[in-house]
Amino acid sequence: MRRFSLLRLALPLVLVLLLAQALPAAAADLTVVSWGGSYEAAQRRAVIAPFEAETGIATEVVQYDGTAAAIARRAAAEGWDVIDMLSDQARVACAAGLLQEIDAAALLGRAALADFAPAGPTRCAIPQNVYARVMAYDERAFPGVKPSRIGDFFDTDRFPGKRAVQRGPDGILEWALLAEGVPPEQVYGLLSTDRGLRLAMRRLDAIRDDIVWWTDPAEPAAMLADGRAVMAAGFNGRFFDAARSQAAPINIVWDGRIIGIEVWAIAASTDAPEAARAFLAHALGPDAMARLAERIPYGPARRSAFERIGQNPETGAPMRVFLPNAPGHGARALVRDSLWYANTEELRTRRFESWLDGDR
Amino acid sequence: MRRSRENATAGPALRMLVLTGAALAIGTLAAFAAIALVEIVSALNSLLLVDPRARVQWERQAGIVTAATLLVPTIGGLLVGLAHRHLSPDGRPLGPPDVIRAVQFRAALPPARSGLVSTATAALSLGVGASVGQYGPMVYLGAMIGGVARRLRLGVPNLAAIAVSCGVAAAISTAFNAPIAGLVFAHEVVLRHYATQAFAPVAVASATGYVIANVIFDRPALFLIQFAGVSRGHEFVLFAVLGILVALAAVGFMRLLLATGPRLALAVARPELRPALAGLAVGTTALALPDVLGIGAETLRFTTIEGAFGMAELVVLVAAKIVLTALCIGAGFSGGVFSPALLIGSLMGALFWTLATGVAGVATSGVAVYAICGMMAFASSVIGAPLTCVLIVFELTRSYDVTIAAMVAVVFANLVSHRLFGRSLFDVQLAGRGVDLSLGREWARLAALRVLDLVRDDAVVAETGEAPDAVADRLSRQGWRQAFVAGPDGRFAGVFTPGAPAATVGDAARPPTLTFDETTDVAGAMERLRGFVGDAVPVVDSASGRLLGVVSEADVVAAWLDESERLRKEENASL
Repeated sequence: MRRFSLLRLALPLVLVLLLAQALPAAAADLTVVSWGGSYEAAQRRAVIAPFEAETGIATEVVQYDGTAAAIARRAAAEGWDVIDMLSDQARVACAAGLLQEIDAAALLGRAALADFAPAGPTRCAIPQNVYARVMAYDERAFPGVKPSRIGDFFDTDRFPGKRAVQRGPDGILEWALLAEGVPPEQVYGLLSTDRGLRLAMRRLDAIRDDIVWWTDPAEPAAMLADGRAVMAAGFNGRFFDAARSQAAPINIVWDGRIIGIEVWAIAASTDAPEAARAFLAHALGPDAMARLAERIPYGPARRSAFERIGQNPETGAPMRVFLPNAPGHGARALVRDSLWYANTEELRTRRFESWLDGDR
Repeated sequence: MRRSRENATAGPALRMLVLTGAALAIGTLAAFAAIALVEIVSALNSLLLVDPRARVQWERQAGIVTAATLLVPTIGGLLVGLAHRHLSPDGRPLGPPDVIRAVQFRAALPPARSGLVSTATAALSLGVGASVGQYGPMVYLGAMIGGVARRLRLGVPNLAAIAVSCGVAAAISTAFNAPIAGLVFAHEVVLRHYATQAFAPVAVASATGYVIANVIFDRPALFLIQFAGVSRGHEFVLFAVLGILVALAAVGFMRLLLATGPRLALAVARPELRPALAGLAVGTTALALPDVLGIGAETLRFTTIEGAFGMAELVVLVAAKIVLTALCIGAGFSGGVFSPALLIGSLMGALFWTLATGVAGVATSGVAVYAICGMMAFASSVIGAPLTCVLIVFELTRSYDVTIAAMVAVVFANLVSHRLFGRSLFDVQLAGRGVDLSLGREWARLAALRVLDLVRDDAVVAETGEAPDAVADRLSRQGWRQAFVAGPDGRFAGVFTPGAPAATVGDAARPPTLTFDETTDVAGAMERLRGFVGDAVPVVDSASGRLLGVVSEADVVAAWLDESERLRKEENASL
């Protein structure tokens, strides 16, 4: 009888110990999910470390591939609390019930809501930074005439060599239509039609044999640096970081850049909602946004953060000119339509996969 | 003559102030109204799954898209039909012809209620994806705002017409982001003269619309295009040929459009069912050819991309769009013809280019310039405004090369369509309502004056039974040489001239050298008075033969001179 009750006491203890062994996440108070690489490194220094110092909440960071599907698969099991997401994926995840609703006015104050630009908070997500999907090239590959327009990405006669492209329909379809001379305002309207998708795929056919695919956002910069590709589609911050830290001769072409919005969201399965909200309140302040922009050139999502952006703490370079929303990058830019993105993901993926299979 | 009102004018400084102030106010209001109309249509398009960008997001639920495609235009058509029947005093959509008529004849626009219903049904028609255009309703909306000035007695001659033109110019300027085209459209199509007094305020209103669209709302340009230039000289011959071919199609389109309304009215008795049926036709066609839905901004863009359409696709789309537009407008959907004309023309331009390069193997500088040439040639044939169309190209593309190419296509198209059909669809529609502008505004104005309104009350009228001496006495007393004789039933019996021996004036009456009837207008009377000798002409009812009155030659000439003077003053007014 006595032995039995001891067992009853010991069993949960053993289980807890076992769980703690299996999931080191449980050791921290808060789990933040991000993308890895130079972006995460900047985020740790600019946002997470100051947050820990200010609040004393121990925070750990895990990586994911940015999809809503990954949240469904891993969030509850791994104890995810706060997630760094693309705004369209946040819409998908929100609609699927994977994210908590956030009352941005209560969290940040009503006055702060008007400060957000180019987009404000949505039901489950609050914008944190503005990034751009840009084209970059290896300076060594083009000693003479340099690529300068998005059409050059599809022109292998004038600019021969491999192109690093994300394995998926994101971004490349927009570029295909921009290369056809479609003005940015009409790109999503045209991509909404069967004819538009066909025309985009036709453009893609022109470089079919010159594409090297990537899936990790750190890859395109690496591919340019080590010569696997001469042109690459990727995120402006990664290219900037590779050019600076690896001294790679990478140049960014701002023409046709696709501006997207990165948001913070809270997992529906969070076990630390209070800490998660405290983290958001900190990370979404203009000071944290400005600190991030100093370390990696992703523009702040609030107007008031702009004037606080100073020099890069390591190189001393003034950072404002490298931000995707800096003036002087040329007029042709596309703002990613996140609602459209969220609702057409399945169609675009289906059409892209069948194109990959050789259907022309 | 209404000299009294025209004399009661304000001083030049005040007139300038009134005209400028009115232009600013009307320009601002018309611009906001035009933007609101565009926004409402765009919101309805998204909500009702007409816009491809909305349709694609429901792509997985194919049933919903199919149901919306069929039901939305059909139910929309029914609502439009019901609204016209029960809410509008005029019972039909209003558009540029009504504006032209009001301005040319110094008349009021149709009742405001008809105008408001017409504008609301236009928003609905466009919102549900009927194959109609947005610029006609916009022109009417602008005109309606300008029309308010007619009620104000501000002491400025011609203010009513100028104010309406200001509204029209601002609406076009806002909608196209094209202030010069707005200014020229108002003069070329609505006012039809270029007096400084009108030109200055209309330009102010047009610029106001542009400022509001660009500076305050920062609306995107309607049709941006990158074009390096026409690279080969022989292409200008192709542009001219394209213009002629497109004009032939435009004439066919306009004839079909005019014939559809009456035919449909015979076939479908209930007027509210006609737009519903037209909507159903649009929806059914759109299941196979979604390009026919709505204004077709995406389709318009595709025509400038090489290889976006196959040749067979282009032929089918041109035919479908021509038939559906004629059907929708003939059936009573509220909307214009300009946007469909742009689309049909650019599809034809792309078709022409495909034939020229693919079949005939001619070297060209790309499809885009052919699409634009076709677009403007077709539109210009329909609205009868070559200058406006050339300027729209210039302002939208900001490319001198494209503009010159379009100019060549536009003038050849206008030559053909004017010769075969008439100056514009609007003028032919007005002619169908008894207003003939084909010989110019002066002739039309004179043709609108009836001689019946000029009959004198001092002419000597005698009964058939009266004694000749008594009548001769009255003639000499009143200073007339002839008396006009009518029977006891009032029927005209002839002209009596004293001198011939007879028992009664009835026996002495002779048939007159010239008679007018109740339909004779001043323009026709002047033609027939050539070579006429005598004091006056009897006006005799054409049906009953009764004498309605007598007009003197001098009065007809005076009416003609007065009207000419009014026109001359209006067309040469400086302030």
